[in-house]
Amino acid sequence: MIRARNLTKRFGDITAVDRLTFEIPVGQVVGFLGPNGAGKTTTMRLLTAYLPADEGEAVVMDLDVGEHPLAVRRRLGYLPENNPLYENLEVTDALHLVGRLRGISDPGTRTERVKAVVKTCGLGSVAGRRTGELSKGFRQRLGLAQAIIHDPDVLMLDEPTSGLDPNQVLEVRDLIRELKKEKTLLLSTHILSEVQAVCDRVIILNAGLIVADGTPSELSGSLQNKNRLRLSLKGPSAEVREALGRIAGASSVRVSEACAFGGGTAAEGFVVESDASADLREEVFRLASSKGWPILHLSQERLTLEEVFRKLTAGPEGPARSEGREKESP
Amino acid sequence: MMTDSPETEQQGQSAPTTTPTKLALVQGQAVLALAQRELKGYFESPTAYVALIVFYLMAGYLYTATVFLSNLATVQAFSETVPLLLAFLVPALTMGLVSEELKSGTFETLATLPLEDWDITLGKFMGFAGVHLLTVAGLVFYPVLLSFLANPTTGLDWGETAGILLGLTLLGLMYGAIGLFASSLSRSQVVSFVIAFLLCFSFFIAGNLARFTPGPAATLLEFVGLDAHLDTLAKGVLDSRDILYFASVTFAFLYLTVRRLQSRRL
Repeated sequence: MIRARNLTKRFGDITAVDRLTFEIPVGQVVGFLGPNGAGKTTTMRLLTAYLPADEGEAVVMDLDVGEHPLAVRRRLGYLPENNPLYENLEVTDALHLVGRLRGISDPGTRTERVKAVVKTCGLGSVAGRRTGELSKGFRQRLGLAQAIIHDPDVLMLDEPTSGLDPNQVLEVRDLIRELKKEKTLLLSTHILSEVQAVCDRVIILNAGLIVADGTPSELSGSLQNKNRLRLSLKGPSAEVREALGRIAGASSVRVSEACAFGGGTAAEGFVVESDASADLREEVFRLASSKGWPILHLSQERLTLEEVFRKLTAGPEGPARSEGREKESP
Repeated sequence: MMTDSPETEQQGQSAPTTTPTKLALVQGQAVLALAQRELKGYFESPTAYVALIVFYLMAGYLYTATVFLSNLATVQAFSETVPLLLAFLVPALTMGLVSEELKSGTFETLATLPLEDWDITLGKFMGFAGVHLLTVAGLVFYPVLLSFLANPTTGLDWGETAGILLGLTLLGLMYGAIGLFASSLSRSQVVSFVIAFLLCFSFFIAGNLARFTPGPAATLLEFVGLDAHLDTLAKGVLDSRDILYFASVTFAFLYLTVRRLQSRRL
């Protein structure tokens, strides 16, 4: 359980986090989404009691962060941005060190915990290697293992997949999915597919403010004002284009290379846009079959989270309060 | 000191509403873990080796030169030359303690563990103290060697020798606290080193300046400077005022380090 009420942090005259209010119930996985400098890292630093808040309150597992910073830190695991690790330590030694610093003083208990997290995080093959020799993917796993060594109730991960290659990203995401079964999880990212892949809920931040809060599908649904149909069919390009444009409700038609899956079959791709309320799929099918143009592909597209994100954080109709707040915490 | 067992840690999860009470100022286990880590860290990088080799060579050279010049079997020379050498050696050993963590970002990991800033400060300081005690222990080689060369009838004054070594131990710890504080001031180890050296050197030179300063300023400089305090110990005289001097400066800089870490403007 994480609760923030009017949480505010200023760095000089920059307000990095501006009256943030949200509540994350136990067991929920929430993604903090936002461009660089939106205040994601600062918010996490406030929640982990690394930085003191200027105003407002933060509560983690019913403990006030300002009043009981140590008790809060005992309950949470935190993976800071860029996953800083002590170099020159063997993987198991690094885990033992964090375990000891976390107060797991009994060597037997600690060894068991180390074994458990090595298994959970798939570190078995590199257990004896030094941290400095690990690939980025394994470093990230080690960072995660350190964050969960004390089996915390709340896990905060700051950009857990940044800088990883696509395979490693998938591995780390699988790991997060594994962890989310039993923990309240807050992760920050600017990678949208990540949020869609692992999060129950998205909080979009921009310039220190919450600009959207909801499930990924709610967000893409609520901002949807256009329906987009992607199709690829075989037929005389100009004529097809004209015919598609004449369908009632179609607002624009354009030729799209990306939809032309036909290979050598002279198929061409089109994107037909219409009002959000109109569904043109049947019309398109009827048109194509009456003209004898085989349809190779037809799909309706919702507004992607990417577009929602861009709309909320950068678009001309985006939030007006984004000026002059580019700096992440120092 | 360690009152927080892993069992209570795990039970804490089933009783989420209870607020763990603060049990001790420092968590012994964590301090010890950090100290061991730092001590091991010293011997995993070449910095410590290089610094120690240079230190022993310089100390040996300066010391032998004096012994043969004066033709006296005494390690008195240590109390004159080694304080200056330590003003170089100790900052070299402490410069990375916090700077390095600030630079690599591991400080954020450390500072978000359930540790007080005193735990972090003491852990790091004790890690340094370990390597410093080894350094002073190494210096024992010279008086032992000398005892074989000394005139068998008079021998070596072991009381004086012990006083000198104790003085150097306390002095090094004081420099270490200064160095730790300097290390918390900057992400750059070089900057930390220079600040630490300047501070240590100020204490070193203050006593010397006292000789050339008139009036009450001289008394003040003599008190602040380490010469007077070290000289008493070097005579083999244990005076609580001198011990208190080293202890209070050490504590003052440890306290400043804690305040610096608490400010989190790092």
